[in-house]
Amino acid sequence: MQDLNVFWDLMWYFKQEKRRYLTGIALLSLVSLCLLVPPKIIGYTVDHIKNNSLTERQLGSYMLILAAVAVTVYILRFFWRVLIYGASIQLALLLRNRLYTHFTNMSPRFYQKRRVGDLMAHSTNDLQAIQQTAGDGVLTLVDSSMMGGFTLITMASTISWKLTLISLLPLPFMAWSTSRYGTMLHERFHKAQEAFSEMNDKVQESISGARVIKAFGQEEEDVDAFKALSKDVVQKNIAVAKVDALFDPTISLVVGASFFLAVSYGSFLVLNGELTIGQLVSFTSYLGLLIWPMLAFGWLFNIVERGRASYDRVTALLKVNDVISEKEDGIQKTPAGSVVVNLTSFSFEENGQKALQDIHFELNEGKTMGIVGKTGSGKTTLCRLLLREFEVEDNQIFLAGHDINDYRLHAVREAIGYVPQDHFLFSATVAENIAFGKYRASFQDIKQAAKDAAVYEDIVQFKNGFETVVGERGVTLSGGQKQRISIARALLTEPELLILDDSLSAVDARTEEDILKNLKRKRKDKTTIITAHRLSSVGHADLILVLDEGRMVQKGTHEELIAVPGWYRDTYERQALESLIAKGG
Amino acid sequence: MDQANTKVIKQRTVFSRLLSYLKRDQKRLIAAFALLIIATGTDLLGPIIIKIFIDDHLTPRSFEPSVMVLMAGGYIGIIVLSCLLNYVQLVLFQTAAMNIIQSMRIDVFSNVHDLGLRFFDRTPVGSLVSKITNDTEAIKDFYVSVLSAFVQNIVYLAGIFIAMFYLNVKLGLFCLVLLPVIGFIMVLYRKYSSQSFLHMREKLSELNAKLNESLQGMSIVQVFNQQRRLKKEFADVNKEHNEAWMKNIKYNGLLLRPAVDLVYVLAIMIVLSFFGIKSFSSPVEIGVIYAFVNYMDRFFEPVNMLMMRLSMFQQAIIAGSRVFELLDEDDQAPGTKGSSDPVITEGAIEFKNVTFSYDGKHPVLKNISFHARPGETVALVGHTGSGKSSITNLLMRFYELQQGEITIDSVPLSHYRNDELRSKMGLVLQDSFLFAGNIAHNISLFNTDITRERVKEASDFVQASEFIEKLPDGYDQEIGERGSTFSTGQRQLISFARTMAFEPKILILDEATANIDTQTEDAIQHALHKMRSGRTTIAIAHRLSTIQDADQILVLHKGEIVERGTHQELIQFGGLYFKMYTLQQKDKPTEEVS
Ligand SMILES: Nc1ncnc2c1ncn2[C@@H]1O[C@H](COP(=O)(O)OP(=O)(O)OP(=O)(O)O)[C@@H](O)[C@H]1O
Ligand SMILES: Nc1ncnc2c1ncn2[C@@H]1O[C@H](COP(=O)(O)OP(=O)(O)OP(=O)(O)O)[C@@H](O)[C@H]1O
Ligand SMILES: [Mg+2]
Ligand SMILES: [Mg+2]
Repeated sequence: MQDLNVFWDLMWYFKQEKRRYLTGIALLSLVSLCLLVPPKIIGYTVDHIKNNSLTERQLGSYMLILAAVAVTVYILRFFWRVLIYGASIQLALLLRNRLYTHFTNMSPRFYQKRRVGDLMAHSTNDLQAIQQTAGDGVLTLVDSSMMGGFTLITMASTISWKLTLISLLPLPFMAWSTSRYGTMLHERFHKAQEAFSEMNDKVQESISGARVIKAFGQEEEDVDAFKALSKDVVQKNIAVAKVDALFDPTISLVVGASFFLAVSYGSFLVLNGELTIGQLVSFTSYLGLLIWPMLAFGWLFNIVERGRASYDRVTALLKVNDVISEKEDGIQKTPAGSVVVNLTSFSFEENGQKALQDIHFELNEGKTMGIVGKTGSGKTTLCRLLLREFEVEDNQIFLAGHDINDYRLHAVREAIGYVPQDHFLFSATVAENIAFGKYRASFQDIKQAAKDAAVYEDIVQFKNGFETVVGERGVTLSGGQKQRISIARALLTEPELLILDDSLSAVDARTEEDILKNLKRKRKDKTTIITAHRLSSVGHADLILVLDEGRMVQKGTHEELIAVPGWYRDTYERQALESLIAKGG
Repeated sequence: MDQANTKVIKQRTVFSRLLSYLKRDQKRLIAAFALLIIATGTDLLGPIIIKIFIDDHLTPRSFEPSVMVLMAGGYIGIIVLSCLLNYVQLVLFQTAAMNIIQSMRIDVFSNVHDLGLRFFDRTPVGSLVSKITNDTEAIKDFYVSVLSAFVQNIVYLAGIFIAMFYLNVKLGLFCLVLLPVIGFIMVLYRKYSSQSFLHMREKLSELNAKLNESLQGMSIVQVFNQQRRLKKEFADVNKEHNEAWMKNIKYNGLLLRPAVDLVYVLAIMIVLSFFGIKSFSSPVEIGVIYAFVNYMDRFFEPVNMLMMRLSMFQQAIIAGSRVFELLDEDDQAPGTKGSSDPVITEGAIEFKNVTFSYDGKHPVLKNISFHARPGETVALVGHTGSGKSSITNLLMRFYELQQGEITIDSVPLSHYRNDELRSKMGLVLQDSFLFAGNIAHNISLFNTDITRERVKEASDFVQASEFIEKLPDGYDQEIGERGSTFSTGQRQLISFARTMAFEPKILILDEATANIDTQTEDAIQHALHKMRSGRTTIAIAHRLSTIQDADQILVLHKGEIVERGTHQELIQFGGLYFKMYTLQQKDKPTEEVS
């Protein structure tokens, strides 16, 4: 019963759309009233026939009334559908846009904790259940109460209240049993849904990782795992079916019993002269009209039950506030100038392990900085802090002289062009991917960015050149091509600060040199940060940081760093051979 | 017109194929059908009993107690019986449908695993997933709701007609008029409403595809400040979807229940006029009127049901055609030729004049020939996009060989069984992929031979154990979506460990250490070096220090091997190794610098 509260939760929307809902409900009630007419006419006709008193005119006018009612009902029904269902799908649209907007505001922390599949489920299945509540839910509520009520009143007042009472005796049984089935169904349904989404996740994984599964010859094992999951789905669904299948027979049973009581007690009344046969016939016809409100009632519970759960989930999701906080009156201007970092500590989880600590450097406008260090030492984390993908405390990072937390988020991000370590391309054309950050860029500019990223030649070799559609996540491109397209994407926005996060790892030494040369020429007055494992990528930098386990262990220029023993010199010596070759001697 | 025709025919084949699946749970279904027919029959007896009661007992007022008890008992018995039968029948139907769907799902899933990577290259993950799960779910509705509803309701309708003819032949004939009227509405419905319904579904999948991609790439969206544009794009599709939906609601309003109920009143009018007119000339049995009115009531419930199920039907057919398309997909992974079941013992690899193209037009590899002796390390270097990964793709038999030959231990690659190949060859992919689950599962996958010990050894081997053991849960640490809480290098180490845990005879490293620091890499190299006896290795790397020890270095350029030899040889051999650079520098069109 308390599931009906969902209507209260949705009241804001009903109020917002009150014209549509009120008119719709009014029309629905009118329909319910009109539907009371035909059984009456049937009863009158039967009585007249029985008494042999039917005239042609009478029959004609009865038929006319029936026809008029039918047409009116048809028209009214069309309009209430348009009104109520129209409003309900509008709600789905609204919530869907709201969710999408919400998703765009969430920080990476949010996505780290959740699976895309689950978020998708909220935006599809849950929204559907809510839409049903606002549409079919309202309909069944109104219909079952209005039509049920009207019909009952008519039966009791115009035919016989005694007969009505008697024939409705089985109803409490139905209410009791359907509510019992409801609770049983709820649990089982929930389990079945979980099993289904587990299976869905499994398929998603298997398909995304198809290459790996093939490479390791794990297909059969994977199919077996899937078999187990799909078997589970079947079992849980059969459990649902066993309860679900109870509804219809129960309702038939109750309806049958009602008819039985109506006919037997009705005949008794006919014998007593309290009722005509025609009235009895129209009474059973009314009983027939009651079937739908009863079904609707059961259905209503089904709908609001799901609607309630879904609405709770969606509102809970919308309440999650994993956003990067912004100051209302933050600086709107894109920062252009130095980068100063005075980071004492940063951790991903509150009170968790420190991912970064004691990092201090100053990078003046137009300079290039390199970050190097062991795998997992915190290079990417540092870059992402500059992008404000995670929160830092005040007075730790300064862009162009202001605390990074004093800027509006979009200002910070407009200033930065980021090439992530894990390239993500959208399934769109190459040109659209390059222009992702600057959608209105001219084709000339796109081409230029591609040339600067040294990927132009590769692209023109593709069958459709810049119009080639890259497969999902860029599967049909070579590793280096993906990387360079991401570089072009960042270059096109002409950022004040360019961050290349290990973005040259999949290109050969010569291409790397080309790109670095282009950067130097193009970005003379702009700031660049490069993280790398190959020291050749950072050798030319004005400042190089060496990180180890989140701490800055060395800082200086290439020359300074190779002069002292340490991580940098060690790595340099190990890689010396390579630079020897690259330099041609 | 023609197009419409082929579409209809195709729908028919889908339909008959869906029906042919019924064989999978034949016995249960036959039982269900039998029960359904009996239950429907009993159900229809009810009004006849009441009719007899009204005409033979109530009107003439003859109430013999024994007859009354018999009738009442019969009536109640019929209701209870038909309820019981219906329950059993419903459960049987559902169970059968679910079993069928399960076996269909397994078919599709295993078929997808048999497909070649070429297929995966061009098919978005989202659409495959929805075919395997959601579309099969829609087909389930076909078996559960549509098929049983059609059978049940058609039996029911037939029963009603029989009963009506039994009661009054002439009126029964009149009522036959209803059939073409209803048929006409159904045709209209299928033409307009089903069409708009499909349009709406298309928009919905577009919407979901957009949402899915945005969710996966949200960090890029945010970093590039594109939230506003994407929100607008999303809202636009959302709006289109809603417009299609609204149109569907309107068609439904015109053609579904409201229309059927209109016909219902028409039917009542026919019945009443018939008896009314008849009453002018002769007396009429009231019970017959009762029975007819009652049957009319009952008649339209199934009709409404059928109409409502039509869109489900349509959807199931579309879903079915998508699923069957996938089942019929013959872009199979390259298969095994012959049945000699050769076994890889030495690990000698030879490429003979291999030429390969992904699209059949642009060759990506041209005339590649090389020979790796057992235990040797062969390195592939070259510019990005020169075809290095493609060579490994062919060696792993991910794609069908088009020209030339690849042999392992002098036996053509195509003669090996897949499991033999995959158990002896280990590949570290350029892009690492982590599965949901914990780290240990990511290293051992489903292989139960790989004990925790071996997982640890493998992690040690690739220097991953250090960071794994620092995690709160160590090897049992759960991995978030695509391993997003690990650094890129750490992810690469985990997938490297996975390959080592499988102890391959032939090791293929595609930039396996590109995101890993030199110290760690050296340590891995060292470990590999110690274990190299008896293991053939193919290594790809841009960082030349990685491959300096290779027995053979092949330099690839635009799909051709332009240089080969050991590192020393290549340097001394007239400096072709660097000449390549200088040459290409000259080759470069000057426009790039402009
Ligand atoms: N699955 C595919 N379908 C179509 N074309 C592909 C596919 N994979 C690669 N290609 C194309 O084939 C060419 C060679 O790619 P390959 O991945 O072999 O290069 P690579 O030498 O490994 O380069 P990198 O060093 O950048 O990884 C590229 O032009 C690429 O776009
Ligand atoms: N979102 C996150 N939540 C929790 N821990 C994280 C997260 N991202 C990274 N880490 C951890 O923080 C540490 C630093 O990771 P980071 O990605 O910055 O390393 P990196 O220096 O870029 O390494 P690589 O050279 O492999 O790219 C690692 O131990 C990693 O597991
Ligand atoms: Mg990193
Ligand atoms: Mg490659």
